[in-house]
Amino acid sequence: MRILISGFGTVGQGFADVLLKRSDLFRERYGREVSIVCVMDSTTYIADQTGLRLGDLLERKKVTGKVGNDKYSDSTEVIDSVDYDLMVEVSPTDIKTGGVGLKNIRHALGSGKDVITVNKGPLALNFCELVALAKKNGCKFRFEGSVGGAMPIINLCRENLVGERISSIRGILNGTCNFILSKMDNGQPFEQALKEAQQMGYAETDPTNDVEGYDSACKVVILANSIFGRNVRFSDVNITGITSISSEAISLAASQNMVIRLIGEVSEDRLEVSPRLISKGHPLSIGGTLNAAQIVTDLAGPITVSGRGAGRIETASAILSDLVSIMDDRKERGGKCQKK
Amino acid sequence: MMINAQLYVKDLPGRLVESLEPISLVNGNIVGVVHDREQIVNQRICIDVTFEIKGNQELDQLKEIWKSKDVLIAKIGSVYKTYTMEYMLVGSFTASFVETLIDEASKIISLESVDVTYSSGNAKSTRTAMISAELMSEKDLKRFDEFLADACRKSKIVYIRGL
Repeated sequence: MRILISGFGTVGQGFADVLLKRSDLFRERYGREVSIVCVMDSTTYIADQTGLRLGDLLERKKVTGKVGNDKYSDSTEVIDSVDYDLMVEVSPTDIKTGGVGLKNIRHALGSGKDVITVNKGPLALNFCELVALAKKNGCKFRFEGSVGGAMPIINLCRENLVGERISSIRGILNGTCNFILSKMDNGQPFEQALKEAQQMGYAETDPTNDVEGYDSACKVVILANSIFGRNVRFSDVNITGITSISSEAISLAASQNMVIRLIGEVSEDRLEVSPRLISKGHPLSIGGTLNAAQIVTDLAGPITVSGRGAGRIETASAILSDLVSIMDDRKERGGKCQKK
Repeated sequence: MMINAQLYVKDLPGRLVESLEPISLVNGNIVGVVHDREQIVNQRICIDVTFEIKGNQELDQLKEIWKSKDVLIAKIGSVYKTYTMEYMLVGSFTASFVETLIDEASKIISLESVDVTYSSGNAKSTRTAMISAELMSEKDLKRFDEFLADACRKSKIVYIRGL
């Protein structure tokens, strides 16, 4: 399996780390290691058809801030210059245009290559187009880490719960907001809780995407399209963020044994991100940076999952699960072909 | 529909079963039974039974069977399932705004009960109200939710509802 990594920031480097940690897994399961043939960051790239040494790449990025020596202006030219089987697209999320991530995913799928991404922008803006493109060209397109980071939800619903009728999914889909609201539960005002989240690296310098609910809304769109088979876009989501939640509101909720959490909800007739009142003790009343989701099914009843919604290694673990799934599928198909 | 009945039967062996069997005969579903041997009136003991039954026709049929079996019906009535939901309003509004809102809602939606709690804080520009409402059906719950959401949107008040 020859892999091209598009994006070598936090998640891209995390994925490289995970591949190094799990080289035994690939040797034992498939009799060979995966080969990284090209890595691109925002301005540079490095390519080698015989395979790149991940340890060296991580070191160079750490020291120089760049993954390669060669600069590029058009990412698709780099992509076309490499012979690869699968693209891992982990460039920064752009929820306004889809950014370079959308361009690279389109290009890879259009060329018949499998793609794994955690990039919410392209998925929230052009989900149906990308899925149709993958189908048309017979490619695998997986994106487990785009919602909930390490928390399994998309593949859980699409594969393990495939026989169920899922009526709704409600969940805490943004760890930053959950951290802020949990801090407010302890008496901190919003501004102070936000600053603490920024100091701890949970929130960006510009926290708009998180606190206004845009990040959660992207995830709601991905869940609606991938699990409910809907054809919705970011603009279809009814969004209310947490910036209007006062300390008074938190205290009043607490006096009634409740907490306020930012909940993303998807069902047949609802597509929403909004603060909700939740009884203490409910699975979605959790605090800290955790993500959690409750999937309501007709046969199995409600199923709750929770896990770390972000983080270098955590998100990379979701990419790893998608990679193993694609490689298993290729192995199975290869086996069937040999039997024939 | 869900029915609760208080029955009195003679304090003899087999009378408890004899009073409950007819519920199954009319395709009812027994939800709970309390056989109260402490409460004896005229040598009859009290049985408090809650059951689901299809409709009034089946209920009338059941009453006839009980009558024929000498089962006295002391009390019988419907038990309604209610739906409770909490809502919170955050913004610039007065208590009379909330009262008017609930009055208007009650004209078009069956509200079983409504309880409003206000924040005790001293914020000058905003206040917080928590509304706990008990409604008769899921449909009413949805309508009340839509009514409050719409009113809050128009008045630029932050609206937070329960899960």
